Amino acid sequence: MKHFEHINADSYEQASQLLQEAQGQAEAMAGGTDLLGTYKDELLPSYPETVVNLKSIPDSDYIRTEKENLVIGANAKLRNVAESPDVKSSLTALAEAAYSVASPLIRNTATVGGNLCQDIRCWYYRYPNSVGERITCRRKGGAACYAIVGENRYHSIFGGMPVCGSDGCQSACPAGTDIPAYMERLRAGDWQGAAEIFFQYNPMPMLTSRICPHLCKDSCSQRTYGDAVNIPAVERSLGDYVLEHKEAFYAPPTADSGKRCAVIGAGPGGLSAAFYLRQAGHQVTIYDAHEKPGGVMRYGIPHYRLPKSIVDGFCDALRDIMGVRFVMNTTVGRDMTVEEIKAQNDVVYFGTGAWSQPILGVDGENLTEFGLDFLVEVNTYLKKAIGEDVLVCGGGNVAMDVALTARRLGAKSVKLVCLEQREEMPASPEEVAMAEEEGVAIYNGWGLERILDEKGKVCGLEAKRCVSVRDENGRFAPAYDESDRMTFSSDFIILATGQKVDVSFLGEKLANQLKTARGLIDADIESGRTREEGFFAGGDAVTGPDLAIRAIRAGRSAAASMNSTLGVTEVKPVYKQAGFLKFDTTGAEQTEEKKLAELPVAERTLTKEDRLSYSEEEALQEAMRCMNCGCYAVSPSDLAPVLIMADAELVTTERTLKAEELLASELRAEDVLHEGELVKEIRLPRLVGESHYDKRRVRNAIDFATVSLASSFDIQQGVVKDVRLVLGAVAPIPVRLYHVEEFLIGKRLDKKVIDEAKQLARRDCHPMAKNEYKILMMLDVLDDALVRHCVS
Amino acid sequence: MDTERISLCINGVERRFFIGTEEGCVKPEETLLDTLRNRLHLTGTKEGCNHGACGNCTVIMDGDAVASCMVLTADCDGKCVTTIEGLEDQKTGELNTLQQSFVDNNAFQCGFCTPGIVMSAQALLDKNPDPTEDQIKEALSGNYCRCISQYQVVTAVKDAVERMKGEA
Repeated sequence: MKHFEHINADSYEQASQLLQEAQGQAEAMAGGTDLLGTYKDELLPSYPETVVNLKSIPDSDYIRTEKENLVIGANAKLRNVAESPDVKSSLTALAEAAYSVASPLIRNTATVGGNLCQDIRCWYYRYPNSVGERITCRRKGGAACYAIVGENRYHSIFGGMPVCGSDGCQSACPAGTDIPAYMERLRAGDWQGAAEIFFQYNPMPMLTSRICPHLCKDSCSQRTYGDAVNIPAVERSLGDYVLEHKEAFYAPPTADSGKRCAVIGAGPGGLSAAFYLRQAGHQVTIYDAHEKPGGVMRYGIPHYRLPKSIVDGFCDALRDIMGVRFVMNTTVGRDMTVEEIKAQNDVVYFGTGAWSQPILGVDGENLTEFGLDFLVEVNTYLKKAIGEDVLVCGGGNVAMDVALTARRLGAKSVKLVCLEQREEMPASPEEVAMAEEEGVAIYNGWGLERILDEKGKVCGLEAKRCVSVRDENGRFAPAYDESDRMTFSSDFIILATGQKVDVSFLGEKLANQLKTARGLIDADIESGRTREEGFFAGGDAVTGPDLAIRAIRAGRSAAASMNSTLGVTEVKPVYKQAGFLKFDTTGAEQTEEKKLAELPVAERTLTKEDRLSYSEEEALQEAMRCMNCGCYAVSPSDLAPVLIMADAELVTTERTLKAEELLASELRAEDVLHEGELVKEIRLPRLVGESHYDKRRVRNAIDFATVSLASSFDIQQGVVKDVRLVLGAVAPIPVRLYHVEEFLIGKRLDKKVIDEAKQLARRDCHPMAKNEYKILMMLDVLDDALVRHCVS
Repeated sequence: MDTERISLCINGVERRFFIGTEEGCVKPEETLLDTLRNRLHLTGTKEGCNHGACGNCTVIMDGDAVASCMVLTADCDGKCVTTIEGLEDQKTGELNTLQQSFVDNNAFQCGFCTPGIVMSAQALLDKNPDPTEDQIKEALSGNYCRCISQYQVVTAVKDAVERMKGEA
């Protein structure tokens, strides 16, 4: 066991204070029969420095009756609860539940409080560190729940629950998109609902599905077994759906706030800000230097990756349906000053991006083309005179787009030279693969020395060996082997080695106030606020060149802070999946993704989209693969269902909580309790009627419940006056069968009624692949409880 | 942190320990089982699963049978502990009635689990000198035997009950 300090607490208040002061580095221990086991097996990634012993608190293990209430100290031992005449007479179920726990050896040590807070018995979670290594499952902060498609005989039959602070696709998405939630809606056939969830994070799925590198996929738990869920492909179908139902998703605001907002830059960030501002009821005007809106999505991304009709579809919807004003062909800083725009608006958002060419300082640089300008030209005119032997410098997605575009323009040979080794290349593997497929030759680990020319005409590149791209702190600092040189022949060199932010449009006065030392706009990353009131900024202009999805996130969160500045404080509730998390048991076991259909190499052109969307059915199939990650282990406590059934109150060091609030609202009681908050006492109101605790398990004394039921019946003249049914060990928290209780009230318990009640009880069941039998056990235990009170 | 001092009575003898990390001190994470076996050399108490499931490490603490592997020695200040070594007559070494009954009824095979079983049974008889068979089985439900000595164990405990009645 790991070493820890040991403190005997004198009171709960003192223990609570110690725990608070330790800021997560201390843990309270009651009986210790559960906690010592987790310490011994080193199940958890971290262990407390200090253990605060609660058993030393004087007079904390009482069991007494006060007025009509049964009052139990949290330190009362289970054995005493099981044997107490007070408990036996007023709440038989509690005595039975306490008696059912483990063996006398454990009951003589274990406490009531400890039983409520005990950890789960999931065998993945419990896998000992000494045998191989502990498993960092989702409940421990990892991404995957291994029980979802693993061994799950003793797991939930009602679905899982989200784990606070765990990793996964949602936390990996820069926009924070609740991917599992919209996948769940898709599985339910609810495309409208799925898109509505998506729109809480990002208003342009038809665009991001095509251009985003989808960092979410890297965190997909399906990667434990095979391919990640093809999230971009599903998102693309969602985008198609949105474009088919534009009127619903880009509806104009119902009320006019009377406020005016300006957005400078019609790229992903600006359009995102405009959408959320307009949705809140403001007049929104977007200014942009280009002829058409879309920014890099229109001018930087080739048509074959993102058809411009799709960009039009989104931008037109913003303009024609939603009522966003676009002022195009207007270069702010030249045609109009920022001050002039501000004078006409309450707030101004800068989403101006990174469009300028960085100067590398190599000889002959002036003879090269700038990658982004090259793409803009081709995307605008769909033609360009290039050489026969093209060389592209750069290892990112822009470089891949440039190389492929050059190839499709007819270049005989396209070479790509980059500093990074293959696995370090910033471009997504799919893009690299596609470039190679179309004959682009990639040379990794070369840096630019100088551009070679003959009488002012490019003839090649002299490169030097790059031995490392980043320093030990991970900062970009390429190191070269100057002696290792190589010459690449080329008559047309394109530098796609990055873009730069230019904020000169701000004008000297504002630039002085807003510009950072690095030449970016100084704004808070989350709120988009700048030092100047009324001015907000986000995206590449603030961070330097980065992903479109980060700009979309920045536009959305800046819109939220602009809204609060403008006095619009309506906060939409964030969608939460109803009830327990559910997944498709067959779909989740499909380890291969369904790829989007791709045009054969020979048919690929500059303008026609390379990939085709899924059919609706295919999108659904892929959504079925989403495991809806959460924790699917069951609550092991025998007392928890009884306390919920009895409507107990739990007195903590800070407040009094209803049993249901503490034990059945979040995954863990500790998610409900504040730091250092401890349960001191359980107060049980007198329950009219007869209560019992029925438990099914494999072996008595050693196994935990497979299914259990806390029940109470108040039957008068053969008619159910009150009934409470709470299941244990079937879900991550105890499940109270409210709808079955409601059905039973006023009825006489006969076979027909019992059968109907059982049918109702299984209504919300959603078993995993290997635990359907638990439903039968659940019905059996319910049957026992009902038959006990049967009229005949 | 100040060094904590604890005192507990083990088989009728007062034992004092300092809790701490210094040499000779009982570490806070030391279990009662480790203290009994490694510090006091009371090796009759066995280590089995070390998770409170097998009952091999059973001792009687303040009248109750507990799994000593799931108890921290640091938590035991003021407790009274009896181990298998504490059952015999401390002067003559004569086995107590229950122990003798186990011997006479061959209520063991390899014997590894026997000290734990005897302690659970003793804790039962101390509280209930005339238990039913169900009560005996229930009291021993946390003690595991892989050699199937259970039948003889129940016979031995029942026999001990009769012998104790005779003694009384």
